[in-house]
Amino acid sequence: MSGDLINALFLQILTGLQLGMIYAMIALGLTLIFGTLGVVNFAHGALYLIGAYCAVIIAGKLGFLYAVILVPLILFVIGIILERGLIQYFYDRPHTDQILVTFGLAIVAEEALKWIFGANNIPYPVPSWGQGIVMLHEYVPFLSGFVVFPKWRLILILVSLVVIGALFFLLQFTRFGLVIRSGMRDAEMVRFLGINITRRFAAVFGLGALIAGIAGVFGGPITQVSPAVGMKMLVPSFLVVVIGGMGSVAGALIAAVVLGMALSFTAEYSSIQQIIIYLVAVVVLLTRPRGLMGKKGVFE
Amino acid sequence: MSEQALLDVQGVSKSFGGLQALTDVSLQVRTGSIHAIIGPNGAGKSTLLNVLIGLIEADQGHVLFDGRELRGVKPHSIIQRGIARVFQTPQVFPAMNLLQNVAIAALARRDGQFSIKAAETLRRGHAIYEEAAATLERVGLGDHLEEQAQHLARGDKRRLELAVCLAARPKLLLLDEPTAGMSRHDTNRTIDLLKEISETGMTKVVIEHDMHVVFSLAERISVLAQGRIIAGGAPDEVRGDPRVKEAYLGGAQE
Amino acid sequence: MSAMSKTSGGGRELLVIGVFAAIVLLLPFWLPLLGGYEALATKIVIWALFALGFDILLGFTGFLSFGHAAFFGTAAYTTGLMLKHVSADIIPALAVSVSLTLVLAIVLGFLTLRRSGIYFSILTLAFGEMLYAAVLSIFQGWTGGDNGLTMSTKPTLLGLPMQGLNVFYVCAVLLIGGFALARQIKRSPFGLMLMSIKENPMRLEYTGVNVMAYKMMAFTISGLYAAVAGSLMVVYEPYVATEFMHWTTSGEIVIMSVIGGVNTLLGPMIGAAFMLFFENVVQAFIGEQWKLILGAIFVLVVIFLPGGFIDLARRVRKAMGHMVPSRRDNVPDAPGSMREDRQKGRRADAQLGGR
Repeated sequence: MSGDLINALFLQILTGLQLGMIYAMIALGLTLIFGTLGVVNFAHGALYLIGAYCAVIIAGKLGFLYAVILVPLILFVIGIILERGLIQYFYDRPHTDQILVTFGLAIVAEEALKWIFGANNIPYPVPSWGQGIVMLHEYVPFLSGFVVFPKWRLILILVSLVVIGALFFLLQFTRFGLVIRSGMRDAEMVRFLGINITRRFAAVFGLGALIAGIAGVFGGPITQVSPAVGMKMLVPSFLVVVIGGMGSVAGALIAAVVLGMALSFTAEYSSIQQIIIYLVAVVVLLTRPRGLMGKKGVFE
Repeated sequence: MSEQALLDVQGVSKSFGGLQALTDVSLQVRTGSIHAIIGPNGAGKSTLLNVLIGLIEADQGHVLFDGRELRGVKPHSIIQRGIARVFQTPQVFPAMNLLQNVAIAALARRDGQFSIKAAETLRRGHAIYEEAAATLERVGLGDHLEEQAQHLARGDKRRLELAVCLAARPKLLLLDEPTAGMSRHDTNRTIDLLKEISETGMTKVVIEHDMHVVFSLAERISVLAQGRIIAGGAPDEVRGDPRVKEAYLGGAQE
Repeated sequence: MSAMSKTSGGGRELLVIGVFAAIVLLLPFWLPLLGGYEALATKIVIWALFALGFDILLGFTGFLSFGHAAFFGTAAYTTGLMLKHVSADIIPALAVSVSLTLVLAIVLGFLTLRRSGIYFSILTLAFGEMLYAAVLSIFQGWTGGDNGLTMSTKPTLLGLPMQGLNVFYVCAVLLIGGFALARQIKRSPFGLMLMSIKENPMRLEYTGVNVMAYKMMAFTISGLYAAVAGSLMVVYEPYVATEFMHWTTSGEIVIMSVIGGVNTLLGPMIGAAFMLFFENVVQAFIGEQWKLILGAIFVLVVIFLPGGFIDLARRVRKAMGHMVPSRRDNVPDAPGSMREDRQKGRRADAQLGGR
């Protein structure tokens, strides 16, 4: 293989990873919330959006590092308030009502942001230390010649990997994670064992919102910050969840990477790129209706 | 004997992951008989019923109904051939009234698995509702015709589901613990009802824990333990079979 | 519908449709009294038709589609292209639009209906967005891309210019016909089957009913209503906006149906009238925030009034002492027993670990 081809391939993989990782962060929250609470949160894109808007304000007023710390906290609190204040009353209502209420919330959030900040993009400058490009050929031995990648996009990939790693650690190695995982398998059983899963479920909603917030902070400069972005992010994230298998954390991660790569590798054919993720979804669902790692019985 | 068999299960096996739920199960159910399947918890009784109606597909073996293979046939087509099933947790149409619940089954029998009867108007007094009312009367729910199914007591829901199944006029009726959770009085009423229905020549397969029910109803009994048929025959033969005592009755008789 | 006029029940049905027809046909005359304008009447009638079809899916079967913009938009674009390039007469335009949408509904139904409620909502949303993306990219040459499809055609019906009240009466007649059809479906064995899907699809399948076939029919019929509405929208105003295909259109039809009250046929149409009135009349007073307020109204209705405005009327009548038979306007999708189990779990939770 020629050096140019390797370079191009490497860049495309990196781009695919970057695209996939934003969706992954949103989708992980969605799938966690669905798996434990059985709620499909149509307002999750709005949470990302709120994260991005908060980040713009805080970064502008206090500095970017404050945004990194404060925005996830704010979103966590918003998540808890949402769950305790509203969503919890919908656990016993039909699924369609859950969809409707979260969809309504998404509209209210989007319209409120439009009212406050206007319908257009608001600028979200990347902090000075994140600007510019990285000379990849200086670090990666098998690249030849001159290979560069925007620094911020690289940072986004690293941050996503750290967040996803931390989430996996949380789920695999802590008592909280154990309860959540068993709750995803059989919520009723865990309840009967006398574990206060309800309070932990509120925390799950907060956690999902928190991850969406981190995605908003770091993804905002790339996806832009405008009221329409919430829904724009939500639809592919839903597809990630569905392709990965509803309620599967690992499946969501794999699906996000698959979709990111599909987007990256079709970038030259823009009309195909517009619909490629849907085509992938159709193929997966026709061949494996349950999703890549979906559990039997869930959603059948 | 096999010429008379309405249902002929031949060497059915089914495993879930590593768990062998059914192993080489064969049994014949004679036309017009009441056939009980008994066995300890987890013996595979419900799995067997699920295989019969296509809810679960068997890994191996054949299920012949009226001489025709059922394996691989879609559930609604299996039902259309003349099988009906009462589930362990009563399955009804909760927000509909009892008449509508039963009318749906009667319509499914009359019109088949799919038809667009949109020009016909269902109103009070329609032949289908009259028939539904008669069926509900038969199971003792004649006083609740306009009530919503979700407001029925559990035992009544079971009876409603039985009415839904009867309205389909099946050749074979599968009953999964039809008296579970019922009082002795209701249980006896149900036994009488099932006996009465038998006079119409309908074949029945009953899964039951309650030995009182089994021995007052069944003409044939198959004993399932750990996914295998370990004994079968007339009630008295089964009662005297040492293997059965060991596997099941020994523990249950006290 | 030959069965309709046979008995006194049929007479009552004729009365209901007659009253409905009178209200609709006179809309251009009484709507301005409420601050609306004549052209708004046409828009209301078109969206009412869309909402009516949507109720056959959401109200009857409980399937919540977030992708009906695909049908509305496809029909609108097809009508636009037909009017622009083939004939200014609306009959061939409608015929081709409806046929094409029929094919689309069958394909989308095949892809989305195999799974349960939530899955279905997500998938319809996704495929709707796919068509939107395709219209703006792959079919850009035909559809005019982001600018929408513009044309200078003046549509006609058999030589009659489709303008002003003419358009209104064409739409109104289709709505009245659509209403009569939907009511007849609701009263028929076919309708009973559709409505039992929402109640307990498993019981239905194991009663010997081909549930998938019925779901497919409901989905297709509602898609065809959406198609007729989408076509009429272009007849009413010969321009196809990209929004017709966008998820916001799917969202609007959901909002209309729910705030009006699903599974009542009348409710979604009231919701459509309310929303358009709000958009076009109330907006003049409160400005751009009307969407925010509408969103808030929607959330409040979902929380406190799951039966929609229609249910409010019922509750008021009940409070005033009239006995009204209880009716379930809600959209259940889980068998009752499942919900009971969940409640049991929750109670156990409260007892065991609550404090």
